[in-house]
Amino acid sequence: MSGFFRKIFLLDLIEGMRVTFKYQNPKLIYTEQYPKQRPLVSERYRGAPRLNINPENAETLCIACDLCALACPENLIVVGWQRGGADGKTGKKTLTNFTYDTSRCMFCGLCEDACPTDALELTQDFELANYTREGAIWDRQMLEEGPRPTQYKE
Amino acid sequence: MNPAQLVELLAVAKPYIIMALVVAVFPLMAGYIVLLERKVMADMQVRLGPMRVGPHGILQPLADALKLMLKEDIIPARVDKWVFWFAPVIPVLTALTAFAVLPFSESYYVTKLNIGIIFILAMTSIGVLGIMLGGWASNSSYPLLGALRSTAQLVSYEVAMGFAVVSAVMVAGTLSMTEIVLHQQASGVWFIFYQPLGFFIYLVAAMAETNRAPFDMPEAESELVAGFMTEYSGFRWSLYFLAEYANIFVVCSIAVTLFFGGWLRPFAGTAAFNFLDWFPALCAIGVGGGCLMLAGRQSIPGFKIGLGAFGGLIVLIGLVFAIPVVIPYISGPFWFFFKVFCIIYMFMWARFTFPRYRYDQLMALGWRVMIPLGIGNLLVTALLILVHMGGFK
Amino acid sequence: MHMDTASTHASQMHEETFLDSNEIVINMGPQHPSTHGVLRVVLRLDGEKILGSECVIGYLHRGVEKIAENRTYAQFNPYVDRMDYVAAVSNGLGYCEAVEKLMNAVAPPRAQYVRVILTELNRIASHLLWLGTHALDIGALTPLFYCFREREEILKIFENYCGARLTTHAFRIGGLQYETYDGFEKEVKTFCEDFAKKVDEYETLLTGNRIWVGRTTGVGVINADACIQYGVTGPVLRAAGVKWDIRKAQPYCCYPDFDFDIPTAQNGDTFDRYVVRMEEMRQSRRIIMQAVEKIPDGPIMAKIPKVIKPPVGEVYHSIEAPKGELGYLIVSDNSTQPYRVRVRPPSFVNLQALDVMVRGHLVADVVAIIGTIDIVLGEVDR
Repeated sequence: MSGFFRKIFLLDLIEGMRVTFKYQNPKLIYTEQYPKQRPLVSERYRGAPRLNINPENAETLCIACDLCALACPENLIVVGWQRGGADGKTGKKTLTNFTYDTSRCMFCGLCEDACPTDALELTQDFELANYTREGAIWDRQMLEEGPRPTQYKE
Repeated sequence: MNPAQLVELLAVAKPYIIMALVVAVFPLMAGYIVLLERKVMADMQVRLGPMRVGPHGILQPLADALKLMLKEDIIPARVDKWVFWFAPVIPVLTALTAFAVLPFSESYYVTKLNIGIIFILAMTSIGVLGIMLGGWASNSSYPLLGALRSTAQLVSYEVAMGFAVVSAVMVAGTLSMTEIVLHQQASGVWFIFYQPLGFFIYLVAAMAETNRAPFDMPEAESELVAGFMTEYSGFRWSLYFLAEYANIFVVCSIAVTLFFGGWLRPFAGTAAFNFLDWFPALCAIGVGGGCLMLAGRQSIPGFKIGLGAFGGLIVLIGLVFAIPVVIPYISGPFWFFFKVFCIIYMFMWARFTFPRYRYDQLMALGWRVMIPLGIGNLLVTALLILVHMGGFK
Repeated sequence: MHMDTASTHASQMHEETFLDSNEIVINMGPQHPSTHGVLRVVLRLDGEKILGSECVIGYLHRGVEKIAENRTYAQFNPYVDRMDYVAAVSNGLGYCEAVEKLMNAVAPPRAQYVRVILTELNRIASHLLWLGTHALDIGALTPLFYCFREREEILKIFENYCGARLTTHAFRIGGLQYETYDGFEKEVKTFCEDFAKKVDEYETLLTGNRIWVGRTTGVGVINADACIQYGVTGPVLRAAGVKWDIRKAQPYCCYPDFDFDIPTAQNGDTFDRYVVRMEEMRQSRRIIMQAVEKIPDGPIMAKIPKVIKPPVGEVYHSIEAPKGELGYLIVSDNSTQPYRVRVRPPSFVNLQALDVMVRGHLVADVVAIIGTIDIVLGEVDR
């Protein structure tokens, strides 16, 4: 019987309309207005890669062990190294240049997991756009500085 | 020229002035109804809607209009050229013509036709031709299917709408729109209280007539792309769009006139409710004040000045409305538009809440539910009127 | 006589156009607002009734199984997320568990509990996306946004945990890479508490609504026998009446520790599949609430060698992904790279049932039926 009344007086439709009416409250709006409000990403966010620098002696933390290049599924890291010392043949490996191809990277984090010294880190930058394909291949300087997106001004 | 001649001149020119105002203002108003729909849709969907063009997106309709006028006019190869050109014009013509009999107030109307309702129903029927020709001229299967479905839907629901309208007309005893409202004023009760079922049938039929959800299967994107409007782009499409919103406005105006007392203030006869006369002024001052507050929060100087000026203007208009001498002149149109916008809001609310009917279910609803209900309503109304009149005379 | 020959001559000269035949062939092409990806469906119609359909797939084929032959086991892990990109965590779970089975390793209990929590959250996220898009196809515009708002909360939890929202790469072979972050339990509990009310709201908007019921009951019916013959699994099978869920039938991970029900329905139509998935969301929430209370302490990674070289052999391991049975067949030849990885995607197998489901219905129902099978083209094509 109550089902009959529900049908005649359209109660099922009216209940649905009540739900949508309730959501008109401006406090419930869920939109983030990018680029005015830049979203807060989490600490572990896998974004742009960065080569970290030791804050104490301003030298790179990378020891050129090549583990990140071996771990990468896409083989897009190329680590250039040389041996330290006077004749260039003895001593520890030092980093010369480091190439990272962000156009093929899938930001999986395997390189970050493999690095033993926390030198390579995927940061929270996600604005990596470029005007050219070559611009997506980052060298050591870009990796140390990070991308510098243009700030949005009104 | 002395005042008497001036008044006479005004009386003669009044229809032309109102006509010119309608034709000039209505495209802008249709654009703002679209903006209102987008903002209401966004609010119900917990998001923001247009926000970038103008403060809170207020100038969005101007941007849209400019874009549509400048867009490339794509005409597919083997269309029927003259029909393709003419088809969008038909619904616009009929919808705007229907404005001629809408009574915005006791003395503001283009014409006081004594068969007003029938005139509007006739105009709506002719408007269907525009849809049919648009689909036919496009020379493509999806638009043709969409146009056929749309036409069948509109024609079916016109019958149901006719029954609802006839019931209300029987209660009033006259076909003239202005007279119907005057009858409501005389009896002191809006006809919605005499004809609740009639109003419901009319509302459903009106939603189906204007191809609004839940009856928008012919236009549904997931179905036939855009139905009969698929091949139209740029300015021609905007004509169809304008016609659709003009139709919505006309259909809601009929609902307001027939069932909600037209231009009458709520409780028009009762003196105890005379405080409602201040409502237009309060509304305007409220809106103006809101604009001024928003202006304070804008960061772009251009928006700040624009919104501030606009807000100030509305507040001034509100103050003018508050002068007792002015109240009788503006009260009619204000209440008319206010009620029409309430009904338009209900259309939008229904659109964003309900899924859409499948085409066969839509037709079954029209023929098997709405028409019998309409006939039943008509019979019961007729019986009650007979009883009220005390038998046949 | 004279007239007859003239008219027959005339009718023989009259060309047949497509309006004369009984059958039309319509193409719902790869670009269509509602085929959930690049799927092409060729329909044979008689007027508006559908006589048969044929799906043309492969527009999103990326050669994932071939790629697997040239990557090490750990390197292939990020690629599996990209198959069912809507619910990436399940794919990772299936793959990691399959490799662990091959190596005879078991993830530690703490890792298993966190895996279950993330996988069930992922199931809720996948069903929310399904609900939003299905409702949108049928015409209800607002549930999409409400569902995405809920899904946003889940994706935030994923982002806080592993750093990515969509292609999560959350699990590793042998356990987990990341410890749970501070506030993980609290965020998950807050989400679950809010979620119960939200599911009720979706039900208010849709389940009792006469238009929804009219559009979905009796549409796309498939009975239990046909389901089993086609190999259809997941909510489609359960809505047809078969109570088969791999989490109960062939338990994996630590599902036996939790108390939950398997929702089934009788008729196998679209409305029943809707009801089954709504109930599954509630049951997933139940599992999460139980799991989050009793996450054990301990290590998060099992003792497995650094370089993963499983012994020669093959293993087939399947899990209950949100869309059905997701299976991995991994063949190993004792090298660092698998010899063959074959994925049994649930959407691919379920899509075969489309032909059975659409016969006799109208064109307007095809969109609803494709939506109700819940396919993801990334999985269908790999």
